[in-house]
Amino acid sequence: MEQRTPIQTEKEKGDRAGYLFVLPYIIFFLVFTAYPLIFSFILVFHRWNIVGPMQWIGLGNFATLLHDPLFWKSLWNTARFLIIHIPLQIAVALVLAEILNQHIRFRGFFRAAFFLPVVISGVVVTILWQQLYSTDTGLINLSLSKLGLSRVPWLTSTTLAMPSIAIMATWKNVGFYVVLFLAGLQSVPRNLYEVAELDGASKIQQFLKITIPVINPVVVLVVILSTINGFSLFIEPYVMTSGGPLNSTLSTFLYIYKEAFSFYKMGYAASMGFVLAAVILSVVLVQRKIVETDTYT
Amino acid sequence: MFKKLSLVLLALTGCAIIIFGCSSKTGEKDGKVELVYWPSSNQQEIDLAEEVVKRWNESHPDVRLIMQPLPESRSGEEVLLAAIAGGTTPDVCSNIWPGVTGQFVEAGALVAVDQFEDFETFMEDRTPRELIESFRSPDGHIYQVPWKGNPIMMQYNTKLFRDAHIGSPPQTYSEFMSAAAKLTTDLDGDGQYDRWVADPNMRAEWRERLFDFYVFYIVASGGHTLLKDGQVDFDNREAVRVFQFWAEGYQKGYFPRVSFTGDAFLQGKVAVHITGPWNIAHTEKNKPEGFEYDIAPLPVPDEYQGSQVTYGDYKNIAIFGTTKYPQQAWEFVKFMLGTDNDLRLLEICDQLPLRKALLSDTTFQDYFRRNPMMEKFAALLPHTVGVDNSPYLQEVFEAISQEYEACCIYGRKDPQQAVRDAAIRSEKILRRK
Repeated sequence: MEQRTPIQTEKEKGDRAGYLFVLPYIIFFLVFTAYPLIFSFILVFHRWNIVGPMQWIGLGNFATLLHDPLFWKSLWNTARFLIIHIPLQIAVALVLAEILNQHIRFRGFFRAAFFLPVVISGVVVTILWQQLYSTDTGLINLSLSKLGLSRVPWLTSTTLAMPSIAIMATWKNVGFYVVLFLAGLQSVPRNLYEVAELDGASKIQQFLKITIPVINPVVVLVVILSTINGFSLFIEPYVMTSGGPLNSTLSTFLYIYKEAFSFYKMGYAASMGFVLAAVILSVVLVQRKIVETDTYT
Repeated sequence: MFKKLSLVLLALTGCAIIIFGCSSKTGEKDGKVELVYWPSSNQQEIDLAEEVVKRWNESHPDVRLIMQPLPESRSGEEVLLAAIAGGTTPDVCSNIWPGVTGQFVEAGALVAVDQFEDFETFMEDRTPRELIESFRSPDGHIYQVPWKGNPIMMQYNTKLFRDAHIGSPPQTYSEFMSAAAKLTTDLDGDGQYDRWVADPNMRAEWRERLFDFYVFYIVASGGHTLLKDGQVDFDNREAVRVFQFWAEGYQKGYFPRVSFTGDAFLQGKVAVHITGPWNIAHTEKNKPEGFEYDIAPLPVPDEYQGSQVTYGDYKNIAIFGTTKYPQQAWEFVKFMLGTDNDLRLLEICDQLPLRKALLSDTTFQDYFRRNPMMEKFAALLPHTVGVDNSPYLQEVFEAISQEYEACCIYGRKDPQQAVRDAAIRSEKILRRK
């Protein structure tokens, strides 16, 4: 019979302690990730209204989805949001990060101020902006009126509602991406700028030819993160517009929520969720292909 | 092997604690029967429930009642559906909107209250027979006990009406539009309206259609609901007239396409507010000095010949199938519907019990003398209609809501076509069963 050495026993004790330490996460993962994921996958093939028995319908949910104009509209709405939100967010975050990377006065204060909206509850920020955007009593329209301009239907116009939401979402999230860009900017080797200056490159040339290529991995990260976050667009239209006017701000997430929790079509909502996940994956893969390049470092 | 097994068992125990620890079970304790009762989570109804439960517990030592307000959520229906799915429903729940009971019944979650021997006699003493019958499910049973109703009427600012030289509240669509033209005004001369006739909620949520399209449809059709024998019954002239009414109001700018902050009616930004009796207490509490208002029935189409009727916005009581003591739960429901508790419902919540001869019953006369506005709502209570008993009702409302938004609010569709399209979509929804 094989004898256990003291070293083996110690190792086993360590293993056991390790398992115990990760146990809370494993339980969390099983209950809140693995189980819902598996259950959602089962739901995809069923019709289920939460309280009644499940009814097997095969690929029926996907057939419904293909012919559901509202689903495609919600995808297009989300795309419209992303087209405005991502470039705006990257541009604003990059400019702010570049400024906050300089030796300016109150730099610490400004860094904290721009990050503040990120840590404030999304619902609170959304309600605040809803008041600002109010056609009748909003601060923005009152200012426009004082200047002799017409009131703008920020949230009640089919054309303006989604851009208004995109601007608000940019304001809310930009602080997080400023931090990422700041980290990227601080990793750019100073000697590259010194060499460029000796060669007579202007500040703009240095920014375009050195800064941008070197921080490309951060740009890729920001694009991917903001794409994934953008596809999860929910709180803003839910609180501000409820998907209106005329479904022009109905994001796919909001549509999934409505189908699941207003009309209790759990199977259909799960199917939309899986399709949306596939869309996000495809978009991210394409983005990586386009944005990611080799850098100097 | 043993260690691995221990770890797996530990993990499973953890999961079990998390999953089953969340459920609430009732039954017998110290030889006493325990029942759980969920009232609505608004403060007035919690106050009422506390009082009712206290009196019940004092007079029924063998059946202890535990009151837990309905957990907070966007809607009580969502909470109850989650509770049904999780098997954690209370024994008794009040404030249930009849439009959702179809789903509960389909799931087998409710006790048929007409199985209790004294149901017929008890209810007939309290509630009109035709109202009880309106809650009968397609399977022939009754699963909800009629509790309270909120007739939807028109609250209007009498001072604004007087200033605009409008002698009496509008009774027809033409009169309403004519009053709207006078009341909708640009007060500061900047070329834009600052005051409107009314501010209906323009969110495209199915619930909101109960208080614009649906109530006006009931008024215009003399009390017809959306479905008949499970089929669409709103593809008609009355529904088109209602769509035309709202479309005209929005198109002429009488209803604002804006989102207000605060109560626009109390701020004097709108002259009319379509609401139920629950708003009276709020108005009395928050009205600015000198604010005057009155209550009137909603306007009808000019050609309307029928009697006055409106949407009743009923809320009922149900006993859930998870109860181990249906008979005791029924006894509590009867206790709750007693005259004393109905009076307290009026006094605490300013909501009307669904009771026969409410205005002539001496028990309530003092209350109505003190609350003349409530008396006007109570007078219309016998002429109210609820919603259809269908598990697909919310989806039907959503279909109408989509067309209402396109046609009435944004003028993108002709009313006739919009009603037709809503009916076609609803037929598809109903066929799915």
